[in-house]
Amino acid sequence: MVASSPKLISDRALHDAELISNSGAWAKNARQSASARAQEQGLPQRRDEYWKYTRPDLFVQKNVALIPQARPEISIFADQMKTEIEFKNAKLAADDLPEIDNCKIESLSNACALDLHWVQDIYGKLELAGQNPVKRSLAALNTAMATEGLLVHAKGQVSSPIRIHSVSIGSIDAVIHHVVKVEAGASVTLIETGQYGARSNVVIEVEVADTGSFHHIRIQDGQESHMLTHIFASIGADAKFKSFTLTADCKMTRNECILELVGDNSSVTVAGACLGDSNFHHDDTVFITHDAVNCESRQVFKKVLRNGAVGVFQGKILVKAGAQKTDGYQISQSLLLDEDSQFLAKPELEIYADDVACSHGSTSGAIDEEALFYLRSRGVPEPKAVDLLTLSFIAQAIGEIEDPDLAQAILSYLTDILEAR
Amino acid sequence: MAMDDVQVKDGVDAETVEAVKALSGAYKYGWNTEIEMEYAPKGLSEDIVRLISSKNDEPEWMLDWRLAAYRRWLELIEPDWAMVDYPKIDFQDQYYYARPKSMEEKPKSLDDVDPKLLETYKKLGIPLKEQALLAGVEAPEGERRVAVDAVFDSVSVGTTFQAELMKAGVIFCSISEAIREHPELVRKYLGTVVPVSDNYYATLNCAVFSDGSFVYIPPGVRCPMELSTYFRINAENTGQFERTLIIADKESYVSYLEGCTAPQRDIAQLHAAVVELIALDDAEIKYSTVQNWYPGDENGKGGIYNFVTKRADCRGDRSKVMWTQVETGSAVTWKYPSCVLRGNDSQGEFYSIAIANNMQQADTGTKMVHLGKNTKSRIVSKGISAGKAQNTYRGLVSMHPKAKNSRNFTQCDSLLIGDKCGAHTVPYIEVKNNSSRVEHEATTSKVDDDQLFYCRSRGMGEEDAVALVVNGFCKEVLQALPMEFAMEAQALVAISLEGSVG
Amino acid sequence: MLEIKNLCVQLEEEDKKILRGVNLSLEAGKVHAIMGPNGSGKSTLSYVLSGKGGYEVTEGSAHLEGNDILEMEPEERAAAGLFLAFQYPVEIPGVGNMTFLRTAVNSQRKLRGEPEMSAGEFLKVVRAKAKDLKIDADMLKRPVNVGFSGGEKKRNEILQMAMLEPKMCILDETDSGLDVDAMKLVAQGVNALRDGKRTFLVITHYQRLLDHIKPDVVHIMAAGRIIKSGGPELALEVENNGYADLLEETA
Repeated sequence: MVASSPKLISDRALHDAELISNSGAWAKNARQSASARAQEQGLPQRRDEYWKYTRPDLFVQKNVALIPQARPEISIFADQMKTEIEFKNAKLAADDLPEIDNCKIESLSNACALDLHWVQDIYGKLELAGQNPVKRSLAALNTAMATEGLLVHAKGQVSSPIRIHSVSIGSIDAVIHHVVKVEAGASVTLIETGQYGARSNVVIEVEVADTGSFHHIRIQDGQESHMLTHIFASIGADAKFKSFTLTADCKMTRNECILELVGDNSSVTVAGACLGDSNFHHDDTVFITHDAVNCESRQVFKKVLRNGAVGVFQGKILVKAGAQKTDGYQISQSLLLDEDSQFLAKPELEIYADDVACSHGSTSGAIDEEALFYLRSRGVPEPKAVDLLTLSFIAQAIGEIEDPDLAQAILSYLTDILEAR
Repeated sequence: MAMDDVQVKDGVDAETVEAVKALSGAYKYGWNTEIEMEYAPKGLSEDIVRLISSKNDEPEWMLDWRLAAYRRWLELIEPDWAMVDYPKIDFQDQYYYARPKSMEEKPKSLDDVDPKLLETYKKLGIPLKEQALLAGVEAPEGERRVAVDAVFDSVSVGTTFQAELMKAGVIFCSISEAIREHPELVRKYLGTVVPVSDNYYATLNCAVFSDGSFVYIPPGVRCPMELSTYFRINAENTGQFERTLIIADKESYVSYLEGCTAPQRDIAQLHAAVVELIALDDAEIKYSTVQNWYPGDENGKGGIYNFVTKRADCRGDRSKVMWTQVETGSAVTWKYPSCVLRGNDSQGEFYSIAIANNMQQADTGTKMVHLGKNTKSRIVSKGISAGKAQNTYRGLVSMHPKAKNSRNFTQCDSLLIGDKCGAHTVPYIEVKNNSSRVEHEATTSKVDDDQLFYCRSRGMGEEDAVALVVNGFCKEVLQALPMEFAMEAQALVAISLEGSVG
Repeated sequence: MLEIKNLCVQLEEEDKKILRGVNLSLEAGKVHAIMGPNGSGKSTLSYVLSGKGGYEVTEGSAHLEGNDILEMEPEERAAAGLFLAFQYPVEIPGVGNMTFLRTAVNSQRKLRGEPEMSAGEFLKVVRAKAKDLKIDADMLKRPVNVGFSGGEKKRNEILQMAMLEPKMCILDETDSGLDVDAMKLVAQGVNALRDGKRTFLVITHYQRLLDHIKPDVVHIMAAGRIIKSGGPELALEVENNGYADLLEETA
């Protein structure tokens, strides 16, 4: 439970007066109610159960001096066919957005200026639905204060992925809010790379209609980054949702994913892999609600930690009464490469239907000595052998990515990162 | 079990199904004993705390301890994180002390105990006559003797085999007796595992506990028989606050059993116990519970609110504690028997079956806190939900930075019978060193249709088939129980699920 | 090629002696076999030579071509030309067999200061060698040893041997868990690598593998020592009379 905290709230504006006054009717409405929501919930506190393993301080403190540093030397997805959209310092780099088949891409800032827009049925609405039973006030705050984002409306099969690449220079707090609407029978892949700001608060709301399909891949890197992300998604019948996040370095990352299966026969996957070194705190918080029959959900998380890095996993499967034939799977594993690193997990099941098969597994341990010896006996030096076993450990999470080319690209990227460290 | 004239013993290797048939009716222990009682005034205050202390002829230090706890309790708030929902307890609308009038004058031996009380325990199948047991020793092979401490509401009625145990140096008596007779041991250990301010209910217990059992096993002694305490709540509107303290000194061993029942009453009753176990170097304690408090009726009326704090401190190197529990009773259960693995190479085990039927709510599990090097823990939890019940496993496995080379394995399975109940799993895993290995597995599913069909095609009724399959599901835990309890528990599993199918 | 002198080994964790003064001299190009009952220390010898952790060498030495291998890391021993075919090859999910092989080949080359093998060349060589061992393309693509049958795992070990071209090969119970056909295939693979220079140490419990890989010298090991050495006929003697007679004889 998030206790309201008048003290913190009082010295912060939870909305931007200028932003609201410049908004059209729908946006004004959405922002004001989100602001009221955040106000009522209060900011997260250290003692909140929901923030048990991650201190919210770095996301809520007023001024944090940060120097963003990207990873210029390693590139990813260079060989992939894609539609590229660039963000610079939390703003769109170009005024014109690409026009592609079966899909319309607009900017949040433009849509906000209008009095009516299709996004009004989603913007802030899925976030609101995701506020129960746990209060996520920083997401509400995002809805109230987001300055930019993409509105992606997929009306059919979108042949190549849409990639958002962002670059930030200097110390910037970025509040970004994307909305994706996938129509019946449509499919689209969204890729996010780079960093919107040194400290970013990103929300993605995704509505997948019956028979729609949405894929999401996110690469988080940059040494000093502080990222808080939320995905709120509602998934219709016979639909698919898949999200994969790779987190390498960064200082403080918390990725929340709140999915609700509202139509029958659908499947969702949330997967992630992280490579943490030293001053690294990474938190995956997932909440999947099954409110329909015969759906499958998968949560697959792998964390490789060293030099005092901390990995957190809070994952929950909620199966509502009547959500029969649910297949829920959850695995969270950590590989601790030295004595100083930590793995903290709370994998939960809450189940109110009987004809279900739900399971979770969680393990933590050091590198497998037997495998290490096998590799070394073949002449592979120890550091390289550790890298190979690291890849082996992470492989299951990458295996959740449907597109083999994208999976391969991530694997090579990981190999490059491992070689560089 | 229907054990009118039989003492607790392992029966013939009867089929579960037959056990089910032999046991008709739902809750077997719902009758009450008509007996004249003496109550402390209703409600809770410092005066009540003083009264309880004086009733037990306690020394000054004990009273001071209680009063400090009471004052602390007033500052605490009732925890609300468990997945249980019950009306707010009015702590002033309870009796905190109730004892049979006939117990006012402490009976000198079991022969002096009120026949009504003896009859009660006989009816429950708990033998308080040493002869009955002694006679049994020569008869069936492998039968073991069990020493019993019988607690009736707020007082211990009597303890059997004390003299014989004393010969081995084992102290087994009620805690009130221990406070009077062995103050040095009690003062040294009481509250050292569960501190006074540990949690709301434990603190309350510290203030108002009335009786319970005390065990001390001296160094190098293997306790010559199983020890057990049988708790019976009889009086209405009365909370039972038992306190158990078991100390296994170096290289000693003890197996301890605990059973509990209460009459069927419309109004919910409070039970808030604290159990502390201390195992020194190379000592081993086995603690088994069959908790069968009155669960309330199918509409959720009445039943026991069971808020229990049980914790073991594996203080010594190579010490070992094993908790086994079969939780079938109570309207609300809030219970986490835990192990603090402080000694190097110490071991903790937790085996649990929790069955919640009708409107029962259970939130139970364990904490394994690894502090010492090379410590090991194992958790096997089997939860069964039926009717409209909610059953939650809640657990913590914590590997501290210094607990190098430690191991944990957790298996936590839930079974759902019917679509109105809930099964929940809330494990916390905290690993702070890399030489330790933690493995956690959990599954939730319904009773396997193929297994049910197979049983039924062989002629079993649906309820019998469910009982059989559920017993199979629980087998690993049932096997961890001492033989005497295993049979009783197996039958209990079947009874607890009555009315859950069809 | 390999000189083992008075090698004494105990477990690191507990005070348990396993090897009690092993002496062996393996000439280049020869095949030596070590036979012995379970628990005689055969596998420990192979692990200690290849550098597995958990063992402590209390006395003695082992030199490969004059170099003290006991001082080396496992990968250095591999680069120096030592190869151990595991009794239980380890599964590495998520790492392709090819990636694994190529990493191993090039790591060794790098350690020896040789140029790396190009991707194209590597592929050509690996395909040719795999074909000889009846290892299909699919097995090369799959993760290392994951989902391999017992025979496939052992053939994969021999493929690694063929690719890495060691000077000194130790085969630890390579025949265990194999049927006759699989064993023949593995033996053929090994025999193909016998070139008059390469040395083999074949550890086995049974004589049957030695029908297919003909040894020059047979040693009998018991209780951590070589108790008898002789020609191939010694293996037959074991086959016919078991170990008991031999043990008594030397007791």
